[in-house]
Amino acid sequence: MATLEGSPDSNGAIRGGRAGALMRERGDQLLVLVVLIAIWQALSMIYGVYWIGSPWGVLVRFSEGVLKGELLRHTSYTLWEAVAGFIIGAVPAAALPFLLRRRPIITAILDPFMVGGYGAPKLALAPLFVLWFGIGIESKVALVAITVFFIVYFSALAGIRSLDAKLVQMAQVMGANERDVARHIVFPGAVPYIFTGLRIAMPYSIGGAVIAELISANRGLGYLIQLGAMNFDTTGVFVALVAVTCIVIVGNWSVNVVERRLLRWRPPADLKLETGA
Amino acid sequence: MAGQPLLEIHDLSKRFAQRAGREPPPWVIQDLSFTVGEGEFLTIIGPSGSGKTTLLNMIAQIDSASGGSVRFQSQIAPIADPKALNPGLSCQIGYVTQEDNLLPWRTTLRNVLFPLEVQGRLNDETRAHAQMLIRAVGLAGFEDHYPHELSGGMRKRASLIRTLVYDPPVILMDEPFGALDAQTRAQLQEDLLRLWDLGRKTIVFVTHDIAEAIALGDRTLVLTRAPARIAGEHKITIPRPRDIRGIMTHSEFGPLYQRIRAELQ
Ligand SMILES: Nc1ncnc2c1ncn2[C@@H]1O[C@H](COP(=O)(O)OP(=O)(O)O)[C@@H](O)[C@H]1O
Ligand SMILES: [Mg+2]
Repeated sequence: MATLEGSPDSNGAIRGGRAGALMRERGDQLLVLVVLIAIWQALSMIYGVYWIGSPWGVLVRFSEGVLKGELLRHTSYTLWEAVAGFIIGAVPAAALPFLLRRRPIITAILDPFMVGGYGAPKLALAPLFVLWFGIGIESKVALVAITVFFIVYFSALAGIRSLDAKLVQMAQVMGANERDVARHIVFPGAVPYIFTGLRIAMPYSIGGAVIAELISANRGLGYLIQLGAMNFDTTGVFVALVAVTCIVIVGNWSVNVVERRLLRWRPPADLKLETGA
Repeated sequence: MAGQPLLEIHDLSKRFAQRAGREPPPWVIQDLSFTVGEGEFLTIIGPSGSGKTTLLNMIAQIDSASGGSVRFQSQIAPIADPKALNPGLSCQIGYVTQEDNLLPWRTTLRNVLFPLEVQGRLNDETRAHAQMLIRAVGLAGFEDHYPHELSGGMRKRASLIRTLVYDPPVILMDEPFGALDAQTRAQLQEDLLRLWDLGRKTIVFVTHDIAEAIALGDRTLVLTRAPARIAGEHKITIPRPRDIRGIMTHSEFGPLYQRIRAELQ
């Protein structure tokens, strides 16, 4: 019998080593957080809380906001816009290269437009979207969707293009038809690429929602930032920024959890390279 | 041992398409003809680059021919037109490729079940057959492992039984054990002969290893360097069941080995 990298006990040993490394990593991350907060504190002491709200002040206001439900309400508006826009943008973006797989000509015709759409600064569209869709949720969702769409489209396209022709030939020899190939080979092969796109698009979706709110809204975290800035309330601005950061972290974590579940089949090294963990 | 020809290769030729701004490519295979009998284990031996993979790709119909014909059960297969190719000839020709080509997102078991699944033949009986094959090649306990969690030898075993599981009348094998260490290789050769003995499929087994060609085959064809032509043909009458590890000591082995080696020069 050949030696096995994946035998249960050696796996256990690897996990044990990993758990230790993870603990150290978490410890170091905590240290960096403390240093960042210390710098923040120092800056707020140097320039005064008028310009830079102190960490403590922000924490107090943050807790008040959470307890009164005010902050949660604004956060959930922004989150809702981001999630809706993310889904509306990502689903067609992931599906389109898949549907156009057998239509290279259409893909080629679309290409310059997609590249243009990808490169154009979508945030500059925010004022237009407010004009077209009003100051309600629609303009925010539209901005998020269009931002997410182009990122995910190119990831999915790369996934389709990474297809291993040998796997397809093998499947055909074994009796797979066009649909089987699409379902059992093209799609699973593209999933890691789609996830890379989703992970990159996730913070953009929240950023897009916040920016659209900055321009014109009467609720949401972007609105809170705008309000804070208008009232020279830097602590209020920082509270909203902390909330934005929190949902980005939670969003990223959720994408990672789903990805890890779906991509158990990948060698760990691949995952590591991609997440940069 | 060879019965009615099941597979007839006639004047088969291949040159790959010319690329812009390059010399016309040479013939890889030229006017190659041979037959394979029903239930025969044919080995084909040729130096690396002689066109063995190209030959099997044409027979399996994943690549088109530039000339000649392939008949299966006297039916001619249209293999000149790349668009008319019918890979695997409707599941009648199995193909164990040089690389294992397992689907990385499927576990061992689900890889082995894959052909049954796409052929719509997944039921209790075929599942039991798959389990039997998994045990027969020593993969029991690894059903739920993904390909990257298996050793090279285990991946080869999985790819081998993935073709055996749907029982195609002809199986093509392209240096399936080429990249393995001697020990694993001998083990797999024994496994293969044992499995073959159960069903006596028609096998076309390509290798660049003379000893392997003799040890496994009923007959062996020796190919020249590209353009591949037949340099020799030998019946191997060493009785079965054969002892793979001791085959070198059989009286027939030495002289045959020398003749094949001379033909390969
Ligand atoms: N797709 C291809 N395009 C052009 N030339 C090829 C292609 N595949 C194989 N060849 C050429 O055909 C010859 C035979 O290759 P191959 O059939 O792989 O040999 P073997 O399997 O005996 O080692 C080689 O010279 C190789 O360069
Ligand atoms: Mg080869």
